[in-house]
Amino acid sequence: MAVRVESLAAHRRAAARAATHESAESEPAPKPKRAAKRQPDVFDQISEFLAQLAGAVDPSVIRSLNKEVAERMERVPLKLNSFGYDPWGLHPDTARRALVASALAYRYYFRVQTHGVEHLPAGRVLIIGNHAGQVAIDAAMIGTAAFLEAEPPRIVRGMGEYWLPTVPFVSELMVRTGSVVGTPKNCVDLLHNGEAVIAFPEGVRGMNKLFSQRYQLQEFGLGFLRLALETHTPIVPVAVIGSEEQAPAIANLKWLGQLLGMPAFPITLTWPWLGPLGMIPFPTKYRIYFGKPLHFDGDPNDEDRVIERQVDKVKAAIHVMIDRGLRERSGVFF
Amino acid sequence: MEKVLITGIAGGQGRLLARRLHGDYEVVGVDRVPWESRPREVRFYQVDHRKKRFEDVIRRERPHAIVHLAFIRHFDDDPTTRHEVNVAGTTRLLELAVEYAVKKLIIFSSSYVYGALPENPFYMDENSPLNASRTYPEVRDLVEVDTLAGAYLWRYPKIHTAVLRPVSVLGYDVSSAIGRYLGLDLVPTVMGFNPMMQFIHEEDVADAIARTIATNLRGIYNVVGPSAVPLSVAIRATGGLAVPLPEFITRPAVTALFRFGMYPFPPGVIDFVKYPCTLDGSRFEAAAGFTPRFSLEETFASVRN
Repeated sequence: MAVRVESLAAHRRAAARAATHESAESEPAPKPKRAAKRQPDVFDQISEFLAQLAGAVDPSVIRSLNKEVAERMERVPLKLNSFGYDPWGLHPDTARRALVASALAYRYYFRVQTHGVEHLPAGRVLIIGNHAGQVAIDAAMIGTAAFLEAEPPRIVRGMGEYWLPTVPFVSELMVRTGSVVGTPKNCVDLLHNGEAVIAFPEGVRGMNKLFSQRYQLQEFGLGFLRLALETHTPIVPVAVIGSEEQAPAIANLKWLGQLLGMPAFPITLTWPWLGPLGMIPFPTKYRIYFGKPLHFDGDPNDEDRVIERQVDKVKAAIHVMIDRGLRERSGVFF
Repeated sequence: MEKVLITGIAGGQGRLLARRLHGDYEVVGVDRVPWESRPREVRFYQVDHRKKRFEDVIRRERPHAIVHLAFIRHFDDDPTTRHEVNVAGTTRLLELAVEYAVKKLIIFSSSYVYGALPENPFYMDENSPLNASRTYPEVRDLVEVDTLAGAYLWRYPKIHTAVLRPVSVLGYDVSSAIGRYLGLDLVPTVMGFNPMMQFIHEEDVADAIARTIATNLRGIYNVVGPSAVPLSVAIRATGGLAVPLPEFITRPAVTALFRFGMYPFPPGVIDFVKYPCTLDGSRFEAAAGFTPRFSLEETFASVRN
């Protein structure tokens, strides 16, 4: 008991430190010059990170975040039935709680920097990004960005792997928070309903690639572009920096995955060595870049090589933004 | 006045349909079981539609339309009887319809023919594959009936054949598997799964069939109620208490209990409370001018009276 009280007090102090740190930063004064000369070292950065984490534990932070998320949820364009569910099983009340959790991760754990969120058009849009990191945190962070930073706030609808609905609890949670199984029919229906749909054409190839392949875009599926053509939907390319270092995989035991009914079985620095704890990703610094919408015209049933040319344009747009993101950052964690 | 013959008229849906059609049509009914307290205006024959006497009824009555509701959907009888009534019975009925120049034929299939699979999209349309027998082999006879009727539809273009695939039917009169399930006080569910489900009120189903006859529909149609809710909401709204059990307990338990006749459904049914089997009903709504009149709240209220 005593330990808990003590640690809570420590959190408070840390939160207070974080608060004074912020106010110090906001003062223009002559200080910045000196700061610019002295490069902040790793220890400064770690303590800043811990202070921010501690700030997140502060109940007032969570209270205000709850309020902010609830307020934004009100403004999301949704069509609900009398029991409070949308046609694809989204339940705003469940989604709200999930978004508070992922907003905490967004602000205090991955400290996401989002650029170009204003490129998200109103109405239907297909968000296409690079995929990595063994668990789909990249999708969650893009979704959180679209919810916290876009105007009006959007709930991004994920296109899940076919095996996800077979996993207990995941099956229910993914649907309540707005995701669906990634079948073409679901995608077309959602787009016709004016939703923002996110897809990762690299699929498992991207998500479970090895650390040595980081930021190398894997082969893209063509389906998303055919669906965009069919429904006349603009494509917004997105690059995520940080996700590719969050869980460095050194091997992928596909046979073991197959045995367990999973699409992959990655071996990372922490998984499976640390058990369930090993699934927690490293607190890498996330940077998300939304690109300008791309419009495509043509026959959705055209030959693969024709579609491939258009897919390459999307891939190139993501590539340019990944390069920019890698240039702009000074380290993986900061 | 056109004459409509209803097979399986003594069942809940048959009685409702007879009441709905009465006045607009001359209603004749057949069933394998007797129909107590039937209204005087309905001519009723207690015959098995697999038997020769059924042909005699059709020859005498010469109906304009046949609504085929006589299917065994429970597993209380032995599988051979079930298969014979459903498949052989339907085949015979389809042949007789050609022989006696029936103008309209309505085959009452169900949403279950699509099967409940993890990769099912929400809102499957009528072109979606019929996958039920992949995980639920005990209902392959119903899939076969649906397929038979679909082929018949193209082989005899002069007959207005309609195959209706309604979602889970609830109501006072109809006894459906899902109705019995939701009628339990403690409703077992599979832990960690809570699929979206669609329901339709039995009176809306009767209305859908009546509209199919009135508008001379041809083709295959999903018939869908107001909107979809998770299974847990349906259980709560019908006054039950969900009891989530882990699948490693549910599946062996259902398998064993069904084998010894202590549980009415084979284990394939578990997938229907794990994965969605939700349909797109827009084709029927446009073709028949149909909108469900009963809200979900009213539909749920009809489960326990």
